[in-house]
Amino acid sequence: MSTREKIVANLRVIRTVFVVFFKMLAVDLFIIFTVLIQPLLIALLAIYMNRERASEVAIYLIVGSGMTGLWSGLLFTSSFAIRGERWFGTLEMLVGAPTHLGVIMLGKTLAHVTLSLSSMIFGYIMAALVFRFPLVIIDPLGFLVSLLFTVVAFISFGLVIAPFFAISPAVEGWVNALEFPVYVVGGFLFPILILPQWATPLSYALAPYWAAQALHLTSSGAGSVYPNFPLWHDWVMLLLFSVLYLFLSRWLFAKVIRRAKVEATLGLQ
Amino acid sequence: MNAVEIENLRRVYRATIGTFRRSIKEVVAVDNISLAVQPGELFGLLGPNGAGKTTTVKMLTTLLIPTGGTARILGYDIVRQADQVRPIIGFIFGGERGLYWRLSGRDNLQYFADLYRVEPRVAKKRIPHLLELVGLKGRDDEKVEGYSRGMRQRLHIARALLHDPQVLFLDEPTLGLDPVGARELRSMIRDLSTQGKTILLTTHYMFEADALCERIAVINHGRIIALDTPAGLKRYAQDLSVVEVEVFGIEDNALEQIRALPAVEAVSVENQDQRQVVLVQSSHGSAVMQPLMEILAGMRVGKVVVREPTLEDAYVRLVGGEKGIAQVD
Ligand SMILES: Nc1ncnc2c1ncn2[C@@H]1O[C@H](COP(=O)(O)OP(=O)(O)OP(=O)(O)O)[C@@H](O)[C@H]1O
Ligand SMILES: [Mg+2]
Repeated sequence: MSTREKIVANLRVIRTVFVVFFKMLAVDLFIIFTVLIQPLLIALLAIYMNRERASEVAIYLIVGSGMTGLWSGLLFTSSFAIRGERWFGTLEMLVGAPTHLGVIMLGKTLAHVTLSLSSMIFGYIMAALVFRFPLVIIDPLGFLVSLLFTVVAFISFGLVIAPFFAISPAVEGWVNALEFPVYVVGGFLFPILILPQWATPLSYALAPYWAAQALHLTSSGAGSVYPNFPLWHDWVMLLLFSVLYLFLSRWLFAKVIRRAKVEATLGLQ
Repeated sequence: MNAVEIENLRRVYRATIGTFRRSIKEVVAVDNISLAVQPGELFGLLGPNGAGKTTTVKMLTTLLIPTGGTARILGYDIVRQADQVRPIIGFIFGGERGLYWRLSGRDNLQYFADLYRVEPRVAKKRIPHLLELVGLKGRDDEKVEGYSRGMRQRLHIARALLHDPQVLFLDEPTLGLDPVGARELRSMIRDLSTQGKTILLTTHYMFEADALCERIAVINHGRIIALDTPAGLKRYAQDLSVVEVEVFGIEDNALEQIRALPAVEAVSVENQDQRQVVLVQSSHGSAVMQPLMEILAGMRVGKVVVREPTLEDAYVRLVGGEKGIAQVD
């Protein structure tokens, strides 16, 4: 089989896996709560807390709460991506097939991220139609490009999360430890300027932070730590993180598969 | 070149036991196995529970890394060249896990066809054909969660054949199938073998191994204790005569007494509802009859048959002999 044929075959796998898992997720109540209801509640609460100037900050809070949905959705679905297959007994079937497990997981992560993105669109429509906030995106093109980089970075991060959680026994603990703190450190709902100084490097080390920067900057114009920090810096950071995550992911996948074959844990429930 | 070539294959599991005072216990599941399967051969791995059959198959299908030794599938090393091995093999493990229960049977096959890199136009023809072959035609649009055990097992077989593999590993393929389904599957396995596929199957069922396999390796405690054709294996029991006694409610100490008789080689019990069939293998023909009947005196005894040894008798002698009383189900 030539390299080109392999690429075509892998793309086919990504498409099939995407369709299958998107359908499964779309009817999963827990996921619907995580990506639609919870962000909406967060947005409503945040808008209520800022009710004096609600119409000014609405777009900021909609984008921010959308990011919480994107992050939580990714964290929950990706941390379950490999463990779930083991649970159904399908992991052995996947690892025994010629397609690399990472390609299959890419299809699944794509489904997760696509569904999670709907959270932002849902929030936007709710705010515009139900609350009649003036929702203007100041740089629509920049926003779309930023969204694209965000999606790439989140997918890459999902591909780190999946194998990482397959080896870590304390999954629940990690998921909880990562969910809300990233909302804060990532600057989803308020600028990280209000956080203590020591937390700033932590923010810089997270792709979600750069995503939040770019999305806020292009939608409401707010959010940058340095007023003259250009947008393309955020994009470069997102791209760098994506590359870094993909390398890390590759290494983790190899390690996880090898370890499962040595310790005989592929087939365990 | 051999289709499957196993050299000194070994696999040790480490299991942690105890909650507080933890210690590590090592289980040698496969202990220095060597064998070769020729291309096109239908080879059986026969052995009792825990003998190491599944462990062997998992190593050969690249799902488990051996602790020692090597194996090659059509020349490719199962560890170093696992990427070359996976496309040319198909496998099933007895049982119903390993499918997406929320998808239909057809969608499951479609999904795995992509994973096995089957060209879409090939898959389009092959999937309906396989569904028909395994008898799921007409039920293929239903979700797998509504399938019976046997239907899931058949779907697994169709899955294993999607990419038309040269070598097939079937771990207890007839597990959970009804007698008719099991017979259909055996005839399907025979057809696949006729088409030139190399098949390695594992089973507990003697008659299945006898009916299907060209050669059989009997495996126990991770070691091969005999490797021969079915006819060759039967010779292990050639000098035996077998007495089959039907009894209703036999006590363990009566079995022990039978076992202790001088001419008795092995005793096994087959439980069927309220009655048991006690199989007594002896090296002195009918000499065992009188003491046997004395032990059974006072019990309700049904049919008594003296017959020629079968493959099962050879198996019981090989595997059950050392344990004293083998339970056959
Ligand atoms: N994941 C595991 N961890 C620890 N021990 C294991 C594991 N899998 C199998 N074993 C042990 O290895 C030995 C061989 O098991 P294996 O499943 O290969 O037997 P088998 O011949 O397939 O048996 P059966 O006929 O019951 O399917 C058994 O003692 C079993 O308890
Ligand atoms: Mg087994």
